[in-house]
Amino acid sequence: MSRRVVIAGGGIAGVSTAAALRSGGYGGDITLVDAGEFPYDRPPLSKDFLKGAKGIKAIALQPESWYDDQSIRLVARTSVTALHPDTGTADLSDGTSISADYVVLATGGRPARPPIPGVDSYRVHVIRFAEDADRLRSALVPGARVLVVGAGLIGAEVASTAVGLGCEVLLTDPASPPLAAVLGPAIADWLHGVHASRGVSVLRQGVEGFTEKADGIEARFSDGRTRTVDVVVLGVGLTPETGLAEAARIEVDRGIIVDTGQVTSNPGILAVGDPVRVRRDGTLLPRAGHWEAAQDDGRRAAATILGQDAPAERAPWFWTDRHGLHVEVVGHLGGAATTVLRGQIGEPSFAAFALDREHVVAAVAVNDSTAARAARRMIDRRITVDAEQLADPSTDLRRLLRG
Amino acid sequence: VSDGIRVAAVDDIPSGEGIAIDKSVTGTADNIALLRDDEGGIWALDDTCTHEEASLADGWIEGGFVECPLHSSKFCLKNGEVDGLPATRNTCPHRVEVRDGEIFLFPNEAP
Repeated sequence: MSRRVVIAGGGIAGVSTAAALRSGGYGGDITLVDAGEFPYDRPPLSKDFLKGAKGIKAIALQPESWYDDQSIRLVARTSVTALHPDTGTADLSDGTSISADYVVLATGGRPARPPIPGVDSYRVHVIRFAEDADRLRSALVPGARVLVVGAGLIGAEVASTAVGLGCEVLLTDPASPPLAAVLGPAIADWLHGVHASRGVSVLRQGVEGFTEKADGIEARFSDGRTRTVDVVVLGVGLTPETGLAEAARIEVDRGIIVDTGQVTSNPGILAVGDPVRVRRDGTLLPRAGHWEAAQDDGRRAAATILGQDAPAERAPWFWTDRHGLHVEVVGHLGGAATTVLRGQIGEPSFAAFALDREHVVAAVAVNDSTAARAARRMIDRRITVDAEQLADPSTDLRRLLRG
Repeated sequence: VSDGIRVAAVDDIPSGEGIAIDKSVTGTADNIALLRDDEGGIWALDDTCTHEEASLADGWIEGGFVECPLHSSKFCLKNGEVDGLPATRNTCPHRVEVRDGEIFLFPNEAP
């Protein structure tokens, strides 16, 4: 049994690793190193926390007492600055070094800032950390002219929050429609269209650059047109934080490469969460980039360290909230032969199931949590389904699972 | 209320589902979710998820837990203990009795 695990990063992946180590019976020292005051949950940063409805304490990932209760040493306001795999030590930003049998990289990432002119202006915001959201909130005053660049998950959530705060919001994304690959084109098109009906102006343009003006910042779009706004928010993706891994000569390819047990090319170093790419059967998978995926990574990393069986695989799941709509996606839409609608797109609640013959491979649910949960179990358990039954809103989906 | 409050009939709750009983009926701080598992057991928990505004009566009941309809934190049907983020606080369980197909609730009494 090893004596110490050092976890670099206290997001959902790092905290889940620590929790799963303890619940799995790990008796050694667990040191969790995080740059923040304490680990907090990120999904609210673009929603309730940005809105001001919740403060930082309300989004703590664990209560303060949890770390003591679980004997997890939290080293806050600190980061891991270097790994020395040969000596089994890690350097911390406070100048100390710590030895470890295993290091778990839960280093997350930085919001991407495309290399376009003016992108470093103080008026150009991103959201990843609580400080980012605090700074953005103070700019989202009623009447503020806000340009959101990128209408993916974060961009759409910020646009929704900002319009709710009384801002004049312009949202641009060159994709037509955004998120088509994860939602399917029909639902993606409808969902993107909701922005306009809630008072968000929508453009289908890329952004070429920004110029500071006396009365704001001017954005220049792909078609040459310009617009001056007070605030710009970029929601154009995440740059995985791979610096520590690269410096330690761990294999990296636009993400830290791990095996299915979360182990990097160095057997003493594992990696979890947003920066991770799994190599499965020789194929390098894309980064998952979702909250629950990060949590599951933590469970798998803990099982690897403990020498226990990995937790059962389950279909991926994520949610997003915009304009009062709770959208959930399970599984992967790609490759599905047929789509079955349960209800109609645009109704207060509906769902779409993607089928491969008689098996569900993915589902998108809008304000229909039961459909999402049922679909997930249908995927995980390889339940044989009938498309007509799925499509009938009067069918009890729970009953289909009982078989 | 030593005999409990008659809040519903077992048949009012489809197997694997829940209903919320309003706090004006239960006299509790929160509404109470009456949850029926697939084995026929009836359980009562505070209805609002301890994480965000969501009704556990709309949750997914399976394996002795109810899963929140928003972010899938799970709560033990028997004792209200939370199992899985993002919620970190337990919810409050209440005692229920089933007599002749009628459900009697004992608010704030431990099950």
